[in-house]
Amino acid sequence: MSITAETAKAHAHDPAVLCCRAEGGITIEPANLEDPAIFDDLVDSGLLNLDGCLTIEEVLGAKLVKTCDSLCPLTADVVEGAKAPSVSGEVQEQKEEQGESQPEEAAPAQTAAVPAAVPGGILKIHIGEGRDIDLEIPVGIIGGGSAPAAGSVPETVKAAAAETEEPAQQPKLIRSLTRKHFHITEVKRGPETKIEGTVLCIRDDIEKECIDSEELVYDLKIDIITPEDYHTYSETIMDVQPIAVKEGEYELGSGVTRVLDGVVMMVTGTDANGVQIGEFGSSEGYLDENIMWGRPGAPDKGEIFIKTQVTVKEGTNMERPGPLAAHTATDIITQEIREALKELDENLVVSEETFDQYRRPGKKKVVIVKEIMGQGAMHDNLILPVEPVGVLGAKPNVDLGNVPVAVSPLEVLDGCIHALTCIGPASKEMSRHYWREPLVLEVLHDEELDLCGVIFVGSPQINAEKFYVSKRVGQLCEMLDVDGAFITTEGFGNNHIDFASHHEQIGMRGIPVVGMSFCAVQGALVVGNKYMTHMVDNNKSESGIENEVLACNTLCPEDAVRAVQMLKNAMGGENVKAAEKKWNPNVKSSNVESIEDVAGEKLCLVENEQSLPMSKKRKEKYD
Amino acid sequence: MRNVQLLLRQHVGAPCRAVVSAGDQVKKGTLIAEPAGLGANIFSSVYGTVAEVTDDRIIIEPSDDQPDAFEPIPVPEDAGKLDMVKAAGIVGMGGAGFPTGVKLGINLKDTEMGELDPEINPELPEGFRLKESHILINAAECEPGLEHNIRQLEEQCDKVIRGVRYCMEITHADKAIFAIKKKNKKAVRILKEALKAEPDISMHLLPDIYPMGEERAVVRECLGVNLTTTQLPSAARSVVVNLETAAKVAEAVDERKPCFTKNLTVRGKINGGNEAHVFMDVPVGTSVGELIERAGGINGVYGEIIMGGAFTGRSVKPEEPITKTTGGILVTIDLPDLHGASTGLLVCACGGSEERMREIAEKMNGKVASVCRCKQAIENKPGAPLKCLRPGNCPGQVKNNMQFKKDGCEYIIIGNCSDCSNTVMASGPKMGLKVFHQTDHVMRTIGHSLYRTLKVSKQVSQDIDTED
Repeated sequence: MSITAETAKAHAHDPAVLCCRAEGGITIEPANLEDPAIFDDLVDSGLLNLDGCLTIEEVLGAKLVKTCDSLCPLTADVVEGAKAPSVSGEVQEQKEEQGESQPEEAAPAQTAAVPAAVPGGILKIHIGEGRDIDLEIPVGIIGGGSAPAAGSVPETVKAAAAETEEPAQQPKLIRSLTRKHFHITEVKRGPETKIEGTVLCIRDDIEKECIDSEELVYDLKIDIITPEDYHTYSETIMDVQPIAVKEGEYELGSGVTRVLDGVVMMVTGTDANGVQIGEFGSSEGYLDENIMWGRPGAPDKGEIFIKTQVTVKEGTNMERPGPLAAHTATDIITQEIREALKELDENLVVSEETFDQYRRPGKKKVVIVKEIMGQGAMHDNLILPVEPVGVLGAKPNVDLGNVPVAVSPLEVLDGCIHALTCIGPASKEMSRHYWREPLVLEVLHDEELDLCGVIFVGSPQINAEKFYVSKRVGQLCEMLDVDGAFITTEGFGNNHIDFASHHEQIGMRGIPVVGMSFCAVQGALVVGNKYMTHMVDNNKSESGIENEVLACNTLCPEDAVRAVQMLKNAMGGENVKAAEKKWNPNVKSSNVESIEDVAGEKLCLVENEQSLPMSKKRKEKYD
Repeated sequence: MRNVQLLLRQHVGAPCRAVVSAGDQVKKGTLIAEPAGLGANIFSSVYGTVAEVTDDRIIIEPSDDQPDAFEPIPVPEDAGKLDMVKAAGIVGMGGAGFPTGVKLGINLKDTEMGELDPEINPELPEGFRLKESHILINAAECEPGLEHNIRQLEEQCDKVIRGVRYCMEITHADKAIFAIKKKNKKAVRILKEALKAEPDISMHLLPDIYPMGEERAVVRECLGVNLTTTQLPSAARSVVVNLETAAKVAEAVDERKPCFTKNLTVRGKINGGNEAHVFMDVPVGTSVGELIERAGGINGVYGEIIMGGAFTGRSVKPEEPITKTTGGILVTIDLPDLHGASTGLLVCACGGSEERMREIAEKMNGKVASVCRCKQAIENKPGAPLKCLRPGNCPGQVKNNMQFKKDGCEYIIIGNCSDCSNTVMASGPKMGLKVFHQTDHVMRTIGHSLYRTLKVSKQVSQDIDTED
């Protein structure tokens, strides 16, 4: 497709190829040239030979000496008055300036289609006519008509300390949140729900109440999974939740919260026909083969799981009320434990930690925009329950119209999101993820940044609604007068449409943005725009795919560190290199190395699914 | 003569309101419907009796005797020319049907140049302004196979020029330019001769590619200004009128004649051959079937009857009546059978809408597996007809071809202009896509070359004697 003057400038050093037939005598302008973004595929497929091809900067304004057809590379013999190429030093600099600038065709209709998730992300076409031609086209490049290259973008790292600051203004403490930890070493069943010392007892007949409480819940079983039982079969894991309660009259997000260590709630289930409650993949199987231990949203190795296996009415696995009923029924158990925890003797506290929320006047003001799923079906989130990750008092973001909701960072860390989402297990942010959200923690503690808050915005199903909510996000960021913004998302495909739109809405207001998403191979962005220049890929999987291992590809501290560094660079006017054409895991490792060099300390990277025992499913489907 | 059916909506705007009832006697030129909003008067095209007034049409049973005399437009003696144009119910006869009385209601002398988009006008300096204002006469007759416009220029050049002068007078235009394809040698010579006496009227020769008659293409070719898809020619201090419309303006002013006839071309799979049958002054409301019979009748099995042109027309049934905007009636050969193969549609502003393309795919028994849109086809408002950003200049198509391939298409049907079709051909067949053009069945019927690769230049010398 022909390019604009802006794209031509960004691709000044890329080959100049006619997009269409052009007649001898014309002055070559951007509209005559094909978008270099698709050249690799054309070269690979033998449709294009770039030998001797001049660059875009050389041919612009020059005269075409003879009529040439579409896809003709402009070489010296067909161009008169070509400019001299600029020197290589400049080339380098120029290159760094390029963003992932995309053709601005917004492709609204086309983007409606969720990209076909082709394992491996490569479309292979074989044409056996005349000379054989093989086309290899990354799906992300052709899907939707305007897709940028796969997710991860290299970043250049520079110490941000060099900034000259205004005379130091004092940080202002807004509020604090204290977590009191109680340790649990054993979970058992008994006549009443209570905690004695480090032993948690769950009432024997509680299942019946759980089942009776929800019309759609046909059955609910409780399994206590100890580390010895990790090799147990489980239905798909719908959520992992901390067991926590507010102390006294404190409200969520401030004051004191009590939390049990060593034990988590785990919601699993199917519908009455045995269909897993999940959309893109599900994590059923042996627990030890399907959980990425230690991810913010996942259980840690050694923890005991109070696992409910909920059976919901047949067919409701893909409707909002089904999964909500499973969560609500499970919360009856959690609530009883919370009540016991609330009464527990202060002497049993094993540790305390306090999170202070400071505003830092004079520092770069940033906001974290977290896109959460709101497409309906099981893609919903309960926002701001009364108790951490509770149900009571919370509003489903689908019912709120998915519009942005402003929360404090401490509300995030205090469990203000009860995640019903069941997208690809590997990229879903479980309820526990928010409790330990690495980006919020990283920015909260960064003394060079003034974190003004967190915005949750739902991802609606319909494109028109996506643009509706993302315009509100843009307006909100404008009002907040922020110097920079992070945008995170979970899942891939459909949600990337609003993810891109958030970038545009914030970016067009002149605010630097860093985006974080699972992309890699399978989650390659389906849409793009010129504001999507700073991306951090949350992928951890070996092959860059949604591998159905719980929380494998979610946002981890190592991603947060890269994103913070990248936003500092962006706000400081540092350049970030454009994405490579295909997903390249080395981009991440070289960025991590650069950060380690500057910071002078080692960044420990998390493990991926290769550290787990190989499951039958993974063996057959993925690795 | 069979009943004539006058549609209440044969123009851009709202349907007219009937002012006659069943049983009323009407003459040629009797006002039978008035605008209810944007629109133009509708007149009876025959002598006869109103048989029925329905929601969308007035049906008139013609008398046996049909004299040439007509009711003059009801305007006062001293009425201005614009009022006469309005009263005569003239609309854009090239097919768009915009009420001419509204279009000409502009004073070009006081009309400032619109703001030009530098992205599509790289060669124009900032603040570029056209010193002179223009009436541009669209004589491109761009839909392949149609000949009635050029025939009228050959036969009624004086009347057309008179109409152009009236348009200039009404709009206070400084100059007028005829935009005509150079291939129409005879008409060009007649026009050149006639223009010797007209210092303010000139002509601009167009290459024989599609589209040249698109309003903004005419502006670009004549004045060198590219308009955006939402800009009107007034942004280039001009008004574009079709030559047949100009002739109707002359009739309204000189003869007080209402607009109730239409010139058109009937062509295709007709007994006696595929040459064009040009009918002048056909009463509006005559049925398609009657005109095909007048041309000789359909020759055997046929594919479809298209009203309008091969690119922008639609398929119709023989009972449908012609309107003030009908230019062509094309009877085509049968369409090829793709036996259910996966087919991609490349929808473009220059050709049929997606709906029309899907209709053609269905008639060809192709299964639509993918729909792409030319990058330059802009939908100004949701649901509005597509408009091309740079008519006749391709933005590149290889990306669409890659999409078709990805979606598993074996065939593609394209509705592109000459230049874009050429680009599709540069990569489509190499990628293994078999290419059809939506106009293929028409082009085969009338013996016109198919729209595939472009073999002629988009530039022609303005010297009529220089071969390009």
